[in-house]
Amino acid sequence: MRTPGTYISATGHVALIGWLFFGWGFNADPLDFDAMDVSVISGEAFEELRAARTPEPGEADPTAPVQPEIDDTPPPPPSAEDPAEHTPPPDPVDPPDDELPPPPPPEMLVTEAEDTPPETPDVPESLPSSPNVDVNAEPAPTQAPRVATVPTAPPPPDAQIDDTVREVVVPDETTTADVPIEDDTPTAPEVTATEIAIEDEKPSGLVETSLRPVSRPSRPTPPAPEPDTPTETAEAPTEVETPSDDAVEAALAAALAAEAPAVAVGPALTSLEESSFRLAISACWNVNTGSQAANVVVEVGFSLDANRRVVGNDVELISSSGGDEAATRTAFDAARRAILRCSVERGGYNLPSEKFEHWKDIVITFDPSQMRLR
Amino acid sequence: MKKILTLLVALILAGPVAAQNGPLRLTITDGVIEPITFAAPVFQAENAEAAQVVNNLNRLVAQDLSGTGLFREIPANAYISQITSFSQPIAFADWRAINAQALVTGAVAVNGNQMTVKFRLYDIYSGQELGGGLQLAGTTAGWRRMGHKVADAVYSRITGEGGYFDSRVVYVAESGPKDNRQMRLAVMDFDGENTQYLTDSSAIVLAPRFSPTGDRILYTSYESGFPRINLLNVANVGRQQLQTAPGEMAFSPRFSRDGGSVIYSLSNGGNTDIFRSDLASGQYTRLTSAPSIETAPSLSPDGTQIVFESDRSGTQQLYIMSANGGEARRISFGEGRYSTPVWSPRGDLVAFTKQNAGRFHIGVMRTDGSEERLLTASFLDEGPTWSPNGRVIMFSRETQGESGTSSLYSIDISGRNLKAVPVQGAASDPSWGPLQP
Repeated sequence: MRTPGTYISATGHVALIGWLFFGWGFNADPLDFDAMDVSVISGEAFEELRAARTPEPGEADPTAPVQPEIDDTPPPPPSAEDPAEHTPPPDPVDPPDDELPPPPPPEMLVTEAEDTPPETPDVPESLPSSPNVDVNAEPAPTQAPRVATVPTAPPPPDAQIDDTVREVVVPDETTTADVPIEDDTPTAPEVTATEIAIEDEKPSGLVETSLRPVSRPSRPTPPAPEPDTPTETAEAPTEVETPSDDAVEAALAAALAAEAPAVAVGPALTSLEESSFRLAISACWNVNTGSQAANVVVEVGFSLDANRRVVGNDVELISSSGGDEAATRTAFDAARRAILRCSVERGGYNLPSEKFEHWKDIVITFDPSQMRLR
Repeated sequence: MKKILTLLVALILAGPVAAQNGPLRLTITDGVIEPITFAAPVFQAENAEAAQVVNNLNRLVAQDLSGTGLFREIPANAYISQITSFSQPIAFADWRAINAQALVTGAVAVNGNQMTVKFRLYDIYSGQELGGGLQLAGTTAGWRRMGHKVADAVYSRITGEGGYFDSRVVYVAESGPKDNRQMRLAVMDFDGENTQYLTDSSAIVLAPRFSPTGDRILYTSYESGFPRINLLNVANVGRQQLQTAPGEMAFSPRFSRDGGSVIYSLSNGGNTDIFRSDLASGQYTRLTSAPSIETAPSLSPDGTQIVFESDRSGTQQLYIMSANGGEARRISFGEGRYSTPVWSPRGDLVAFTKQNAGRFHIGVMRTDGSEERLLTASFLDEGPTWSPNGRVIMFSRETQGESGTSSLYSIDISGRNLKAVPVQGAASDPSWGPLQP
């Protein structure tokens, strides 16, 4: 079936193949592209490089300085293969010198340039890793050996008897000898640690001891009391002096003597404990809001025993304000009734026994001003 | 210098020590408002005749106290201890165990128509007797008064205020329909007992007022067709018309505090003013002369001032002026109309009737008009009167409708304990008398 379409298609295909083959209208020049240096190394070199760069598992942290062991024996002379020996790092920022060849590649590296313009070597952003040099890290401080690597000179030999008899020379004490005295003190090498030497030596010229202050002279012993003098109770501290002619110290002693026995020990009541106690009494304080007693503020005092009960059911009126005698009496009765009633109904107030010194004596002000009729 | 420094250091150190060593100090501002519990075992009958009255007497005392709302009786079946003798020692622990705060014990002896009542009051929680024992003597017919006396004594010893149980109330007893209401004066005990009628129902009577001593009553009568003030002797029920200033109508009378004079309102030509008349001489004094209506005067306890109502401002308001007349100052400024002011026996409050928004209220305010409090609200509350101790207000309350009736109510000035007074029939216009001697 040779139709005109077939001819047309064959002619078109032939033309297209020919056009592609001969490249009419195409630019045969290669496109510009960036080239990168590629180094080819041998397998042994790569393994050696990797072993030197990557620490083995379990190896100490390379960042942590390893305390060198003290070796009393003189170290062998340094060799170039010693991995502990540090070499100064190359300067990575030195511009490439056109006249100089590129920086020498690492050991056993063979470079093969491919399509790379030799005149403009690219400076890689990151230098090829070196097994011995870290260009970004600060130079590690040189670990100084604590024992000099160079043995010190041997001590001078003992004195030997000279065959020549010489006269004894008596030194003149008034004159100083002109003979220079050699300093035989061995000096440490320049690069040695000083810790060992310091342990056994003491710096000269330092003050070893200081003068202590002179102790205070003891006070004169007070005269013994007269046998017939009545002795005071032992409440006052005996160490407080009370000279009869010193009014200030006498007042001080008297103040201390009066206050010292009443010191309450232990922590005070917490706000919660106080609030609980206050609420307990409030619940028993019955206010007759329409009465004249509702205008009276009374302050009452009482004591509690160790069982948290009112001692002797004794509640005293300390002060009052705001009403006549009858109203005051009624207000006081209501306050007393509240204190006694709550003490009985609750089997004693809920107060911490360890703080007995803080609540054994209590003063309460009953103020009904917020409850009375307005 | 050293000594001075030493002293200063000592003072600085002594300060905290003293603060720690003082007593624990607290201030309590919140209490409770609840009845005081009391126990009142049956009084001891010291003879056979007394056995018939001890139980009633005992119940009366308990009812008086409980009726105030300030006390609550502990029932007898809760008692642990029993009182078998008036002089037996009190087992306070047993009474504390049932939460009794007060204990009333008593004994009664009857000899013929004479009886004696003695009682003691104990403060349970302090374990002490509250006041001394008290003995009363009277007739067996007056056993209620003796019971009220005991209750007054207990009330006074616990609250510090005077009682009001042994007092009487005069009021207007009403009967019949509203359009043909029959009115007469009646007097009763404060609790509604022992009612006695003082007048018949031939004439309309209004606004009775006890004298300070309770032996006389002033009231307004329409016996002559016009309101006039009558003076009634309670003992013999004798009455006479009060000689007042010339005028068309005289009404709203009250005794002065000494009972020697009367202040009242007198209306002439449509103008109503307040006057004072001396009962002995009949001389009168005009206290107001405003063209407005001044009425319902009430004297202060010290007799120096008068509170009254006036519409001089356009509506009924309360004013206070000197007892001798003169410039008046207004004390009510709230909404509505204020009327029927009554000065408290304590002198600190004024009770009044207030009409506002279609409701009537009984309220109280300070004498300077401050702290107004409305205690009640209803279709019609009016005519407050103070108890002798100034603690309770009695008033009349009328129910709505043609069949509505008027009755007496009382309320504590705290606004609590509103209750109806058990009165025989309808009643209005109460006036609380003094404590009886």
